[in-house]
Amino acid sequence: MPEEEAGESLIHVVIKAEVLFNIGPFEVTNSMVGAVLAAFVLLAAATYFEGRAKTVPSRMQSLIELPIEYMARLTEGSTSRWRGYVALVVGLFLMILVSNWLGLLPGVGTIGIVHGEELIPLVRPAAADLNFSLALAIVTFVVFVWWAIRVNGPIGYLKELVGEPRYMAPLMFPIHLISEVSRLVSLSMRLFGNVFAGEVLLATMLGLTTAAVFVLPLAFFVPAIFLVLELLFGAVQALVFALLAMTYITMAIAEHEGGHGSDDTEHEPTPQEHHAPSPA
Amino acid sequence: MEPEDRGDPAPRKTQAGAPPANWGLAFDLAFRLGIAVILGLGGGLLLDGWLRTSPIFTLIGMVLGIAAAMYTIWDVARGSMRR
Repeated sequence: MPEEEAGESLIHVVIKAEVLFNIGPFEVTNSMVGAVLAAFVLLAAATYFEGRAKTVPSRMQSLIELPIEYMARLTEGSTSRWRGYVALVVGLFLMILVSNWLGLLPGVGTIGIVHGEELIPLVRPAAADLNFSLALAIVTFVVFVWWAIRVNGPIGYLKELVGEPRYMAPLMFPIHLISEVSRLVSLSMRLFGNVFAGEVLLATMLGLTTAAVFVLPLAFFVPAIFLVLELLFGAVQALVFALLAMTYITMAIAEHEGGHGSDDTEHEPTPQEHHAPSPA
Repeated sequence: MEPEDRGDPAPRKTQAGAPPANWGLAFDLAFRLGIAVILGLGGGLLLDGWLRTSPIFTLIGMVLGIAAAMYTIWDVARGSMRR
């Protein structure tokens, strides 16, 4: 089978998410199960800590708050309107982080339904399916275009796409359009490529080491090294995706704040601005 | 946790958050250069297939894709310097 890596690999790797069952015409794939599980973990953590959060946090609360605070502080430093998109940036980071790390748990990729001679895993890391990463990228794309339209106005945004001077519009409009769409493709392909490559890497390492029966301890030691690396890569990919989402929104707003926008009426002062002395 | 209210009207541009944001841009730029060319070329190929004008739109698409890649470098550099 062309999709299989390392011959008789213990972990099943195919590029397309596999269908587990149908609900009417709707196909439920194993990557959907991974995404729903990740969402459930986040919802369960949020529900658990909602009433239990203390001013002086416990160790567990500190551990949970650490990535949230880190991302919130990064976003806080971006623009004066950071409150408008901090939830999206932190949400993207947590969703990708949890779905990536869920894929490293024992049983993910190895427990499944036997269909003929094939094992279809019940759960697959959500970001190892292009549909998931593309969906997150589309949400991000829509949000930063919305911010660009909000701060510049629809006419201002179109003027930016057309560029200056106007007679160059037939050349500059397609260039701007390709540049904008490349953000969407870049965001989705990078996340999918890295997570899927991680899956293939783990499968290959496990396949290679278990094939060498005479050095059986390697079968435990070598994949463990790569699992630790995947733990790191999962966090880095989540961070990169969230940071880029923040950067794109920041750039859309900064164009305006730098004096290039056409409509300044929608500026919402932050609480800091209400209480702030004159910056002179 | 609620961020501290220091009374500054502008974002804190000198905060420790700036370097990671730039790392993200660096990761992104390499991808976008290739993707811009592929998008231009792919669009041109599609148009040529549709209008049966090969290779006119393929060449135009490729040139536009390369131009979009160059523009992306300039745009990202300009945005980074402005921030």
